Amino acid sequence: MVISINKKLLFTGTILLVLTMVFLDDLVEDWGQIEDAPEKLQTFFSEDLWPPDWSVLEAEVWVDGSLHKPNGDICDESFELFCSKAWTGMVVTLKMAFIATLIGFIVSIPLASVAANNLAPLPINLAARIILAGLRSLPSIIWALLFAIAIGFGPLPGILAMTLYTIGYLGKLQYESMEGIANSPLESGMAMGLTHSERLFHIVIPESSNHLLSQLLFMFEYNVRHGAVLGLVGAGGIGMYIDNYINPPFDYDRAFALLIVVFVVVVVIDLISMFIRSFVTEEGDVKRPKWWTILLPAGMAMDYYNQKGVTKKSSNLEESE
Amino acid sequence: MQDVNSPLDDEKKADTSAKTILNLKNLSIGYNDPLVSKISKEIIAGESIAIVGPSGIGKTTLLRTIAGLIIPVSGEISHTIPKRGGIGYIPQKLGLIRHSSVRNNIALGARTRRSRWYPALFPLDRSLKNDIEDAMESLNIKDLANDPVRILSGGQQRRVAIARTLIQRPQLILADEFLGELDSENIKSIVKATKKIIEEIGATLIMVEHNEERARQIADRIWRIKGNELIEDGDFDQ
Repeated sequence: MVISINKKLLFTGTILLVLTMVFLDDLVEDWGQIEDAPEKLQTFFSEDLWPPDWSVLEAEVWVDGSLHKPNGDICDESFELFCSKAWTGMVVTLKMAFIATLIGFIVSIPLASVAANNLAPLPINLAARIILAGLRSLPSIIWALLFAIAIGFGPLPGILAMTLYTIGYLGKLQYESMEGIANSPLESGMAMGLTHSERLFHIVIPESSNHLLSQLLFMFEYNVRHGAVLGLVGAGGIGMYIDNYINPPFDYDRAFALLIVVFVVVVVIDLISMFIRSFVTEEGDVKRPKWWTILLPAGMAMDYYNQKGVTKKSSNLEESE
Repeated sequence: MQDVNSPLDDEKKADTSAKTILNLKNLSIGYNDPLVSKISKEIIAGESIAIVGPSGIGKTTLLRTIAGLIIPVSGEISHTIPKRGGIGYIPQKLGLIRHSSVRNNIALGARTRRSRWYPALFPLDRSLKNDIEDAMESLNIKDLANDPVRILSGGQQRRVAIARTLIQRPQLILADEFLGELDSENIKSIVKATKKIIEEIGATLIMVEHNEERARQIADRIWRIKGNELIEDGDFDQ
């Protein structure tokens, strides 16, 4: 049995790899173009990107020596950082991402609940899925472009673009999570005669809360990262400053510094996400393994934990049954 | 499931109908092919019935069919039970919301006692909240009220599932091996508490139980599935 599974796995793996190679070879016309790519990248990195120009963390100094915010207002903050392009841009991007993610989440939850096949009949599933697919078919930058044409530049087209894309993208993740919950609580609810909204709010959402929270925070992070891209079409936020720097006169080192700021914010959001999700995951109920034990063979790691009594809490639970 | 309001011809028939809570007429159950066929049974309000038989023979399928979760292959199920809150169902895996607190899990049952048109996010009124506290008290889980269900032991989780069902004040309770693999002490106390509350609310109980001895502790009637037939053992009170 094991051998036949391995053979199947090997066969499928080989087919997928061969297909990848065939498609790649079909798409790439000149393999010679990657020969000097590392050198080009190294030159670009050492001459244009490195070291990052951290002046983006400072206020603008005008000829009279006064400090100003990027919009020209006098900097009267206690820390100069608060008047910098990185800070003001990132604050706008975070606000945009916050609004878009929250509104997107509020709209996508009911849509996802009728798109999930364990919560609604097939025709309604299909209609909801078509709406969600339509919203996410256009990348947020195209939505931003459309809204920039319609209502002009600034954060508003960015927010609208992020919101629509969030509904489509988050909605898909949500209905798949909802479909993945255990049948048993849902069946109890159906037999009890609970309505669709009661099952949604009191069974499905709590039961899939771990995934929904993770997706919500991921979407917020995604929207923050995309704030850097949406600036390219004049949608405001930190992306607008990055866009200014990657256009003539090409201040790549400043753009690089702003990208590092985006990276740091993304890492912080991820840590916050981990903390928030710890309330609805079972990870919090058991002791974490030591990081270095992942380097040990499984048997040795098990011996270590048995000696240290790391499984004490779970055995306590068993005793209480 | 269909509600039955068929007119009855004579007084005698009307009397019987007043007591009959559920009627299975020539029922065949299963997914594609019938697992059990020709089930014709009448269940009187207040009875306790245990369905026994070996694993995989169709006990759970019968219970799920009565709960309205599976469409019967053929035959008819008729009853006078209200759709909302009339049936309390405890599945084999208990059907609890693992990340929700004990109180919120029990509140789910209490929600069925208010109109279906009530907005789902509106809080429960004071009397329902008091009933939740009383239910936790009577099943000895009040100390765990704010704990997420996932951290509870098997016995505690069963008490939560029972409390959630009983607070509905259902007319019919369907329980699928709800005693599970509990130790005898836990079984005794859960059976005692359950019987007491079922008597209080006057509910009918249909339970699936693979352990016949346990089934006899609770049930008045035993339905035994053998082959693809349902045979009744008789009334144990007689």
